[in-house]
Amino acid sequence: MATLRGLLETPRHLLVCEKSNFGHGKSRHRQLVETHYHNYKVSFLIPECGLLSKELKNLVMEMGPYYFVKNLPLHELITPEFINTFVKKGSCYALTYNTNIDEDNAVALLPNGKLILSLDKDTYEETGLQGRPSQYSGRRIMKFIISIDLMDLSFNLDSKKYERICWCLKEKKPLKFDFLLAWHQTGAEESTMMEYFSKYQIQERQPKVAMSTLRSLQCPVLQSSTLRGEPEASCGGPELFDWLGAVFCDVDLNNEPNSFISTYCCPQPSTVVAKAFLCTVTGFILPEKIHVLLEQLCHYFDEPKLAPWVTLSVQGFADSPVSWRENEHGFWKGGEHLYNFVIFNNLDYWLQMAVGANDDCPP
Amino acid sequence: MAAFADLDLRASSDLKALRGMVETAAHLGYSVVAINHVVDFKEKKQEIEKPVVVSELFTTLPIVQVACTHLDVDLVCVTVTEKLPFYFKRPPVNVAIDRGLGFELVYSPAIKDSTIRRYTISNALNLMQICKGKNIIISSAAERPLEIRGPYDVANLGLLFGLSESDAKAAVSINCRAALLHGETRRTAFGIISTVKKPRPSEGDDDSLPACKKAKCEG
Repeated sequence: MATLRGLLETPRHLLVCEKSNFGHGKSRHRQLVETHYHNYKVSFLIPECGLLSKELKNLVMEMGPYYFVKNLPLHELITPEFINTFVKKGSCYALTYNTNIDEDNAVALLPNGKLILSLDKDTYEETGLQGRPSQYSGRRIMKFIISIDLMDLSFNLDSKKYERICWCLKEKKPLKFDFLLAWHQTGAEESTMMEYFSKYQIQERQPKVAMSTLRSLQCPVLQSSTLRGEPEASCGGPELFDWLGAVFCDVDLNNEPNSFISTYCCPQPSTVVAKAFLCTVTGFILPEKIHVLLEQLCHYFDEPKLAPWVTLSVQGFADSPVSWRENEHGFWKGGEHLYNFVIFNNLDYWLQMAVGANDDCPP
Repeated sequence: MAAFADLDLRASSDLKALRGMVETAAHLGYSVVAINHVVDFKEKKQEIEKPVVVSELFTTLPIVQVACTHLDVDLVCVTVTEKLPFYFKRPPVNVAIDRGLGFELVYSPAIKDSTIRRYTISNALNLMQICKGKNIIISSAAERPLEIRGPYDVANLGLLFGLSESDAKAAVSINCRAALLHGETRRTAFGIISTVKKPRPSEGDDDSLPACKKAKCEG
């Protein structure tokens, strides 16, 4: 009996919905966008829009290059040259590529200078650095998190701590990973990542952009003031979230009786819009660029438009060791951590943040 | 978490088919596989290479008790093709868990036949009641690539067998790693000391070092 009851439960997941206005002084939107460091996919949906405006199109095309380096030894990220050239002069982001967070070792560099290593038990014991066990360990601890503060280290390079870290990562257990790198520089451009890592095989990549126009799309009716929705008048936040997922997956919203794939139905009350514009950008995308895109989408309503709202969704890397700020992120049966803005024409917004099983509550 | 492992791929005589199976397993997400040679006890003349992990398939109670307490094995396979004629007793199972033995459940017969599916689930639930989900490994006894399932699907299958969510995921990753390490420790003294043959250094190096330093290097 306990087995049957257990089978009915789904793995834990959390959806946090809140509403506010962009003009409000205490609005947290900027902070939330900028502390979600590793972004894999950015999508926005504009109902009643057939063609993208020039500003938005330029923004989407310039979501920045990111870099891919193969077999980069980890000790390269703790050298003083790297810290002074990239970490201190802007925001530098790095994430290991093709490493599963629940199976292998993963490393992430956050813009505040923290290098997070998520290591399995054997590697942790061989490396010899001090860390703490992962929060999502269970009975037997198999995963350890080491956090190295590069900014703090760079102030005393002669300290024993720095020497030990260098020795561990260079000689005791040299680790090499494929990295995705991105850098948002503030200040004059002095050197680039391509030049700095030229002796490793570094490639510059552009994010992939996919645009499409959806015809005759059923959209739920939303009122910005009622986040929970009112029966017969508007839909609530969670219903919109499900509907948006169905749209991104290109699922039929009609609940046709002969459809084998999906019986999902658009939440009621809904209207049919003649056309809607969906744009998806995939890559290693900087939070700063996402913030600029968010502001541009707010300016969409500077002129009167037919659309009642637009949405901007951002998904994080499933294998990133952190979700927001330094909250630990794990992969249980799925590693989603994403957020979604619904921007209304009066600049009210709804913000939905979703995480999976091995995650802290979003901030 | 450890890497995902499938510790039971049935070896066939065809090397190319075996390679195909291993490639399928790698594609699905497994990092470690073990290839099983099934030895029939009646034929003593079969030569197989010395395996690291030894697992034994049992059908009668006295053998199970002996295996759990004395025999030098790493895994005990629970037969699924018929209803177990005995119930697992708690004392030998607890001794086995203390010794580090794992209990292995296979799922590919369940893919092929619906009667076997019933027996698999009932035998598994029976085992779970006694051992509470500790040291369980789930593997495919796959003879063809189509019978292998991805690691997350196998973890979900573990839920059907009565394991909790964390035990089910551990059954495909952590417990497999533990069984492999157990197999390696059987070759060492108390699991700590092992000998490795050192390659002989060239003659030139020997002459250049003074005698006392040479002794320290080879110690």
